[in-house]
Amino acid sequence: MSNKLEAYLEEIGHFLSDRAEREEILSEIRSHILEMAAAEHGETGDAALDKVIAAHGPARKVAEKYLDGRPIIAPAYRRYLFRYTTLLFAFHTFLTIIAIVFKKDFVIFPIVFMPRLGVIEALMYLPTAFLADLGFVTLVLYFITQTGKDVKLPWPKFAVDINEVKPPARAFWAGRIATAVGAVLMLAVTDLALYLFAKHHTIFFVNMNWSDPRPLFTPEAGRRLSMIVIAMFAASTFALLIKLFTRSRWVDVVSNIISLTLIGLLLRQPFDNLFAAEIADRFLPKIRFGLKFVLLFIALMITIDLVKNLVLIGRRKLAKST
Amino acid sequence: MTDPDIGSLETEMNRGFLHILVLALLEKDMYGYAMVKHIEALGYKVEENTLYPLLRRLEKNGWIASKWDLTEDRPRKFYAIAAAGRVLRASLLEVWTNQNRILDEIIKENTNV
Repeated sequence: MSNKLEAYLEEIGHFLSDRAEREEILSEIRSHILEMAAAEHGETGDAALDKVIAAHGPARKVAEKYLDGRPIIAPAYRRYLFRYTTLLFAFHTFLTIIAIVFKKDFVIFPIVFMPRLGVIEALMYLPTAFLADLGFVTLVLYFITQTGKDVKLPWPKFAVDINEVKPPARAFWAGRIATAVGAVLMLAVTDLALYLFAKHHTIFFVNMNWSDPRPLFTPEAGRRLSMIVIAMFAASTFALLIKLFTRSRWVDVVSNIISLTLIGLLLRQPFDNLFAAEIADRFLPKIRFGLKFVLLFIALMITIDLVKNLVLIGRRKLAKST
Repeated sequence: MTDPDIGSLETEMNRGFLHILVLALLEKDMYGYAMVKHIEALGYKVEENTLYPLLRRLEKNGWIASKWDLTEDRPRKFYAIAAAGRVLRASLLEVWTNQNRILDEIIKENTNV
């Protein structure tokens, strides 16, 4: 028997998924190739088999004809891949922020495992979490598809359908002008903050008397918090300036990630001995709670925006590839 | 308007036609290569990579049956129509005849306009 024929059959067998049928299919193909070589070339030698094999087509293409055409995820469920991944990742990200702030582990088996994390570790962890969420949702949808049953998947009516998130129908220049105005405003705010920081080593004040300003925070805390907030202003300014030249959603993604990192840093700042101004002790827990609540709310909004941007990028890539 | 892609449309049309063709052909036992050549002689071309997977699907559904003949130099797998296949063939031929009639009538109507 020709080695080339056996190698060709082995290659086809490599692409066939059903082990039980594989031998039978390969026997059929072997029989056909030998039959064709004998009928059309008068012999079944290597030279004749080479010609017949070449005409028979590439091994993968041949194998694909035998494979069941059932998709991994049925078309009717494909949009749920993004919907559910979005929800799960938003939930995951929110728990990540909680884990950073409260320094706790979370386990919701088998969907979420949230180890105790620092900000940098969280940044390393989130892409992995996104892939895990995508994989989990894919697996669930795969099993639903394989059952062949008509499963009506739930999706809350009140939630924003990411499919329906469309860019506002603004004219090209209107969009650019709005971005330019935003960039100029943010540039002014950043410059003002840098000026105040250079002069007073803080940007937080109790009064507005610039000849004798009274800082809100103690010098060290004021310096750290000011630097973080200035970095946030600068990141937003850069993002807006870049968006004058490109509408890529990756700019928003990077900006979102930087903002989340900086909010994480803000949340990790020690609260004790924070204020330079005198504040009654009974108000301190309330202020602490209020600050954390506001920062977490901002983080949640940024996270939702981040997930929306990632999903839209993913959808666009999928649309291009299909 | 885009140009019609005859190739892909023809493939779509062939899908149904091949079922009837194979079921009609297998009234007598035949092996794969002989079927390809027979169909070719009738002025139609079917690729072996299309025919064999189709034969497997028909067999899985119980519409045809197969058996290996090992008496010759080369083993050959012979296929034959099953009882359920004859019922299916009759139904498909009815559908096909009806479709032909409808198309004929429409073409006649168009030529009379």
